Amino acid sequence: MSESTFMGVERDRIDWSPRIDFTKCNDCMDCVEFCPHQVFEVDENAKPKLKVKNPNNCVVFCRACSKTCGPDAITFPDKPETTKMIKAIRKAEKEAATDE
Amino acid sequence: MSESICVLPCNGLDKCAGDLSRRVALELAQSEEVELICPVLINQNKSRYEKALAAGTLTVIDGCNTRCASKLAGDLELAIKEKVNVSEVAKALDIKLGVEIRDDQDTQAVVRAVLEKINSSAAEQAESEFIEPESIEYNTFSHGKFIFKVPKANYFFNENDCWVTVSGNMARVGVSDYVQQNLSDILYVDPPEIGDEFEQFDDLGSIESSKAVFEIISPVAGTVVAVNTGLNDAPEQVNESPYEKGWLVEVSLSDFEEDQDLLHDCPAYFEFLQRKVAEIDV
Repeated sequence: MSESTFMGVERDRIDWSPRIDFTKCNDCMDCVEFCPHQVFEVDENAKPKLKVKNPNNCVVFCRACSKTCGPDAITFPDKPETTKMIKAIRKAEKEAATDE
Repeated sequence: MSESICVLPCNGLDKCAGDLSRRVALELAQSEEVELICPVLINQNKSRYEKALAAGTLTVIDGCNTRCASKLAGDLELAIKEKVNVSEVAKALDIKLGVEIRDDQDTQAVVRAVLEKINSSAAEQAESEFIEPESIEYNTFSHGKFIFKVPKANYFFNENDCWVTVSGNMARVGVSDYVQQNLSDILYVDPPEIGDEFEQFDDLGSIESSKAVFEIISPVAGTVVAVNTGLNDAPEQVNESPYEKGWLVEVSLSDFEEDQDLLHDCPAYFEFLQRKVAEIDV
């Protein structure tokens, strides 16, 4: 069984991962070094070099990498909105289960 | 107010908001249970107030957002139980205070509102003090050379491995045994500020080991009432006693029933953690 759920909701239904503003990013790669979940990838030959390769590896509600970012180039989705969405999905699934 | 309180106000000489904090403090000081702390004197001679501070809880009144009184309490390592900010109360009432010191209807209204806020929260706190349980029983499971502990009852967890345990309207927040073992020796605790309001899943500071920084993701919504100052000198308590002595933040809850929807109780977290540990170590 894969651990790709958060509070019973499939991870890929939760939109939570870093967004990089490349007008601010200075290619320091501190975020890559910081994140232990292999969310980022560096491709030396690409432009930009930094890429959010595994958005669903990102720990839901963790924003720690954005704090290591000097130029403040990393943002995340709105937390209360995300919480609301997760609750809505759980509620819908619970209702669907009781309907069966 | 049954318990005695010490009140540390802003010095009150710089501008209107400060003057109001001074006026609030003088009103409070009419009560016998209240000891007024002069910010200038305590800064010069802390021992003068040692007895009073030991006997009662500390309420800090800040005039403006420079928060001199709070910062002074922080510098002197005083434990703050309650905090009010005159400028914020005025803003909520839609009253502009400005610089000039004045005594009129507007400023009197602010003084009354601040006094009400202090009195009502003192009453609330009396009935909702966090009471530590006598003893906690644990379930354990082992994985390789590691043994993981999870309390048997009365704790709730989010899937970010942070716990909350509730006593009345108050609660304590910390990290699970899994987090402390994963981080190994915790060297530094960066707590949130007392008085901070936060939503469920907002961060409540962080803890740091030589291996990594771990963001404390709050299992509940509320207001920071206290932080575990014992961890300044002994952050290893988070390793030694993650569910008890190593608690991180004390909060007053805003809507625990609502928060619980996205939390695991002890048996559910025990199962969740077993699965997580099994998968990570493949």
